[in-house]
Amino acid sequence: MAYVATRGGERAIDQAERLYRSLMGDIDAQRVAEIEAALPLLIDRLMGESSLYAPELAALALAQSGGDLYEAILLMRAWRTTQPRLQVAEPVQQGQTFTHRRISAAFKDIPGGQILGPTLDYSHRLLETGVLGGAPYRPDPVEPAARPAPARHPSLAEWQKAQGLVHDVQTEPVDKDKIPDLTREPLLFPAKRAHSLQSLARADTGGVLALGYSAMRGYGNAHPTVNELRLSEADLRVRHPRGTVFSAGRVRTSQAEVVTTKGKGALQVGFCATFGWNEMKCIAGATLDLNAPGAAKNSPVNEEFFLYHTEPVEASGFCIHFKLPHYVTFQSALDNLRAAKAKAEAPAKEEADA
Amino acid sequence: MSLTGLTRPWKDFSYGFLDASAKRELRRKMLKAVAVPGCQMPYASREVPIARGWGTGGLQVTCTLLNPGHTVKVIDQGADDSVNAASIRRFLTRVSGARSTWDTLEASLIQSRHRVPEEILREDQILILQVPNPEPLRPVEPNMSVARQMHADADYGRMWLQLYEQIVRSGRVMFGAAYPSLVHGRYVMTPSPIPRWDVPKLNMARHLTILSAGREKRLYAVPPYTRVEPLVFDDVPYKVEEHGHLTCYRSGLKGFFMNEIPQEDGGALHEVSDSHLGIKAIRQGDGEDVATGDTWYTNGEMGQ
Repeated sequence: MAYVATRGGERAIDQAERLYRSLMGDIDAQRVAEIEAALPLLIDRLMGESSLYAPELAALALAQSGGDLYEAILLMRAWRTTQPRLQVAEPVQQGQTFTHRRISAAFKDIPGGQILGPTLDYSHRLLETGVLGGAPYRPDPVEPAARPAPARHPSLAEWQKAQGLVHDVQTEPVDKDKIPDLTREPLLFPAKRAHSLQSLARADTGGVLALGYSAMRGYGNAHPTVNELRLSEADLRVRHPRGTVFSAGRVRTSQAEVVTTKGKGALQVGFCATFGWNEMKCIAGATLDLNAPGAAKNSPVNEEFFLYHTEPVEASGFCIHFKLPHYVTFQSALDNLRAAKAKAEAPAKEEADA
Repeated sequence: MSLTGLTRPWKDFSYGFLDASAKRELRRKMLKAVAVPGCQMPYASREVPIARGWGTGGLQVTCTLLNPGHTVKVIDQGADDSVNAASIRRFLTRVSGARSTWDTLEASLIQSRHRVPEEILREDQILILQVPNPEPLRPVEPNMSVARQMHADADYGRMWLQLYEQIVRSGRVMFGAAYPSLVHGRYVMTPSPIPRWDVPKLNMARHLTILSAGREKRLYAVPPYTRVEPLVFDDVPYKVEEHGHLTCYRSGLKGFFMNEIPQEDGGALHEVSDSHLGIKAIRQGDGEDVATGDTWYTNGEMGQ
């Protein structure tokens, strides 16, 4: 059986996996809890791209994958596949979320006020190297404002609609159980609006940023102005079998509306929302959404183009699949190449044969 | 009466990993695919515990078809012991309790990446091909919604043009693996990146072939006894790889698709790509009683 022994097969893949896992060592509940506490923004990004809101599972996925984000997303998505869909929650209304941060670049001040909330935007990006020397870094405590910001904020677009600056699009009311679900139906184009927004919500942050940035630099037609950027906690309102609607907990959400004045008489709006607090993805995603209508086929701001290419599990999986053996395909192409070469070198003989 | 009496014991995963709703969707799409041979059926394509592009489409089909009575064979590039084939086989047996085999004759389900086994498949066997790119029109039309429209219109002019251009530029058709083929006289499909050697095996085959692309969320089928015709001009015949005269340096088998193994002396050796066919030949040589089925090719020539 010398024929078989030449390839590693099952033992090799088993040992290769052990080598990788040895990089992380033992994983226990404490490590998972520390990851969850120390890396909330990474957990948020992971939950958004996994479309699974479960901070503890996200921390576990990061622990298992050693921080390889795409592996962690796949762990979460594969787990999601096994979970039953028990119910569709009540719709989340913008004005009803518990808002931590909400800013607008379009106006100096807006109804409800500019609420900075938690951000590193104005911080100086300096490493606290003292920590490595043994001096723990303790951030200064937050000093509450004399007058607390309101917990709920109206949507700025509502004000703009009242001003006639934004078209009030009339939408048919849809029963929440009939909202198309991207995870249970294929994405086809032209895409259903629900599918587009769901795709963006679970899209790869880096991928959305790259394509969104290309649009911002000029490969899109519309320059975005951040109309409203909002970080909130939304109540997950579900219906008890007896009929009462109750909150089963809160989920962090982010959303961005960007606008452009390029249009016929009204502001054009682009929108993106996702699980977790991830401002960059929402601004870039909303920019893509803003540029999508009427975009040329196969341009980076064409919806089919950016939605297909920012799907993190598909993109990363296909990229790493090139590590798989391809020698049959290669052999087949090589055969063509050799035959074509032989033919080019001996055209006279070929013609004589024919 | 207690709550536990009314429910089943909690399990990590459903039987065969996928839940009932996912399997139902796949069954429906497979039936549609059989009803319209070669036509790509979009499906939701759930995430499974292996990476996209690593056989998730084939895996979802196999997981749906599997039951404990099945015997499953998994090959990658023709080999059962290839690392990813080993990984998929381990997953399938783990979630289903089905038996696994390396022998094509014993298998009821064969999940394969890039090869059709050399032994003729029977009516009671199903071949599941993993597909990286289900769209034969991709080289001429990368936009999927436009390509879908072209299929609907049977608008394959640009495929023929591509074929013609290859002949003009290179003196021959340069499609390697994944040779575009017309199914049942209507839809052009990519047979997945199987070598040209394997495409004639699908024509009027006794077995059912299901082709599934998990990442691209499309599946399609070649039902038994269905025409599969590689796109060729009348005066430029279809050519399979010139492997008919090669001999496997390990098993001594001749006239099958081979892997080329470069040697340090500048030459190359060849080994039979269908690895278990080679193993059986070696064991027969050692005097063991091992059955080999009839093969599609005899002495390097495709049978009629």
